[in-house]
Amino acid sequence: MTRPEPGDAPALKPFADESEVRRIGDLTIENRTDQVSLYGSLDLTRDQSGLRHARALKRIVEAIVHALETQTDLPEAIAAPEPPERTKNPFT
Amino acid sequence: MPDVVNGKLLAKARPLCFSGFAVLHSGVTRTPLYAAEHLTRARIEAARQLERADSFHEEARLPPDERADLSDYARSGYDRGHMAPAGDMPDPAAMADSFTLANIVPQNPDDNRNLWEAVESAVRGLALRSGEVHVITGPLFEGDDLRSLKGRVLVPTRIYKAVYDVKRAQAGAYLAENAPGWAWRVVSIAELNALAGLDLFPSLPASVKQTAMALPEPRRDGGRGQAAGTDRESRRSDRMGPLEAALNRALGRFVRDLLEGRLFR
Repeated sequence: MTRPEPGDAPALKPFADESEVRRIGDLTIENRTDQVSLYGSLDLTRDQSGLRHARALKRIVEAIVHALETQTDLPEAIAAPEPPERTKNPFT
Repeated sequence: MPDVVNGKLLAKARPLCFSGFAVLHSGVTRTPLYAAEHLTRARIEAARQLERADSFHEEARLPPDERADLSDYARSGYDRGHMAPAGDMPDPAAMADSFTLANIVPQNPDDNRNLWEAVESAVRGLALRSGEVHVITGPLFEGDDLRSLKGRVLVPTRIYKAVYDVKRAQAGAYLAENAPGWAWRVVSIAELNALAGLDLFPSLPASVKQTAMALPEPRRDGGRGQAAGTDRESRRSDRMGPLEAALNRALGRFVRDLLEGRLFR
């Protein structure tokens, strides 16, 4: 099996969609329109794979910084999440 | 595949097969009611090799009015929580399929990223050590009033992961709140069935359903540094003398053969 490298994946466009996901090691990067979520963990090892992972992470973080720096009217804080609605339980 | 006991769950329920897992999707909740997987040692070893570049997507096989849209989850404060986890998927096709919203529920972010990730990791560890497990993961919708995203996608109150260990012929389930924190417990399949309105593992004998097996503890470090075979149970067998261990293995084989003979004849 060929092992797709995160560095080869199409670039993620931060905040552009609610769909794109990248995984580097055990670190997950999820694109949302109001945030990019990074969670999990990643060892950037002092070897070739560490360098590939570090570059992939750098590329994503740079894209995030660029998107935030070039956004006009960047708010101090995003709006709070929409509170969920109440729905009667259809199964009881 | 589980049987549905609570008839109300059958409204707009559609079974969907994917590469690597199957779900029963509800057009009422716009979530899966369960996702079923067959995990083997080989599959988990393959899954560990995968880096992922994927995308959450609406399920094209479902009628548009029965499925969740990406926009339902936008700015909701909820994570898109996998039922059949991406980390279990052995190849790129299965990995891509796991991001269908037909495999997703609105999950509290802290729960999704910490406790539930640890539960998923613990079950992969069990599959590696035991060799073969059947896993069914799903949401519980409890109480008179539920939360919903945009009045369309229902938010589970709790989430379960039921496990049948084929070699040991034992079963049990993790049960956790869809909320921040580290509250979880193990319940029997019988107890879970009553909560879920399903008959998970309908072919298992009642005695197996009624006795919760000792499932491995979810670890806060996500199992890092937990090499295969260092769970509590194998540590216990490490302390056994060679004769005791041999007897234990022979007894295990005997019970297993007995149960499997009864199960699959």
